[in-house]
Amino acid sequence: MTDPFAALRRPVAPMDPDPAFAVTLRARLQQALDPRGASMTVAPDVPAAGSGGGPRHGDLAYVSLWVPDVERARRFFGSVVGWRYDPTGRQIEGLSLHHGFWGSERSTLFLCIGVDDLRAAVERVRAAGGTAEEPHEEPYGLVSGCADDQDMQFALYALDPVGWPRPAANGAVQGDLSYVTVETVDAARFRRFFGAVAGWRFSPGRAEDGWGVDGIVPMTGIHGGHPRTTVVPMYRVDDITAAVARVRAAGGTSTDPEPQPYGVTADCTDDQGTRFYLGMLG
Amino acid sequence: MDGADLLAVYDRALPIVYGYFLSRCGRPALAEDLTAETFLAAADALRRDPASTVSVPWLIGVARHKLVDHWRRLSREERSLHAVADDTVPREDVWEVHLDALRARDTLERLAPHHRVALTLRYLDDLPVAAVAELLDRSVHATEALLVRARLAFRRAYVGEGCDD
Repeated sequence: MTDPFAALRRPVAPMDPDPAFAVTLRARLQQALDPRGASMTVAPDVPAAGSGGGPRHGDLAYVSLWVPDVERARRFFGSVVGWRYDPTGRQIEGLSLHHGFWGSERSTLFLCIGVDDLRAAVERVRAAGGTAEEPHEEPYGLVSGCADDQDMQFALYALDPVGWPRPAANGAVQGDLSYVTVETVDAARFRRFFGAVAGWRFSPGRAEDGWGVDGIVPMTGIHGGHPRTTVVPMYRVDDITAAVARVRAAGGTSTDPEPQPYGVTADCTDDQGTRFYLGMLG
Repeated sequence: MDGADLLAVYDRALPIVYGYFLSRCGRPALAEDLTAETFLAAADALRRDPASTVSVPWLIGVARHKLVDHWRRLSREERSLHAVADDTVPREDVWEVHLDALRARDTLERLAPHHRVALTLRYLDDLPVAAVAELLDRSVHATEALLVRARLAFRRAYVGEGCDD
């Protein structure tokens, strides 16, 4: 006689949970798997940044790649550096620093600088000859959209007491932002403005009229003498020769890999003329 | 990198783990909580032993432990844990019946947690008694005794002879 209980058998059928739940859990997992977080509490509801240290005043809190065609850029960078995207397609997942996309006529990397006191920083922008919006709530925090005194758009972000872990200076995983180069018109003017607004301190770089910003993450440098301001990102890759081939295969351009004191880099454009570097770093 | 393995399998594994909990518990909010506990426990296990292999069956194994933990917590709250430790095996007559699926599911939900977990693992998950014993952290003998009592409790509740206690 068949066991009547055998009829209870129910093999598992996959069911999609609420998408917001799926996205939130993925973010929690990324935090939980962060190697820098090994000593942090396992309790799922406790934010991770307490013991590791969060972003500091002057760090980049967020960046956005401004490109003419976002969908095209998603495909290009997805194939070249392996970016994966959240369900809205606007945020890149799995990176050490929040990184989004925005549509804009001219390609550049938009910078959002974290500050301890947003109200005071807004006043400093205006006093230094720039423009600043009144701080307003975005889903990710309190932000003020600004422009400097050379018409470079940027933003200021109120750093949470408990935020995300401070990224490594040159990123950690493939696809991470590892260096930011600001090509500006007047480097001295740039240094005065951001010295006053964000507390940035500069040390001379190797290039003529090139300067490194001290102590912020990701590592950032500026260079003067350009006809207009463009911010050029460098993205980490594990194998630069393969990455350069992928850039060319995807319709972009790239120099051959060039040895540097700190690693191997390539100077690239995507298939819309967006300039970026690839870096295979130590 | 093992953390990356867990994230790589996440999109495929999430609906399977969530689907498992939803079908065993019936409540989406509870299924979400247990799903989150499962993945975070997996991340924790990977941190402690990076050599673990991440796979969907492994995650379902973690999920089963979380299900057991959940019902064990409920059991403690209902003070019926004492019944689990009883090794005596009552008499079980043959029961000739064809179980109606909806009524059976409804009956399961009304059972005491320690009976429900035993029947879920043995019959819904179709695990051998030895595997059920390991998940419940009991001897095979104690697990078999528990299954007999659980089947009898199910039968009483299904037929409508009163609440399970």
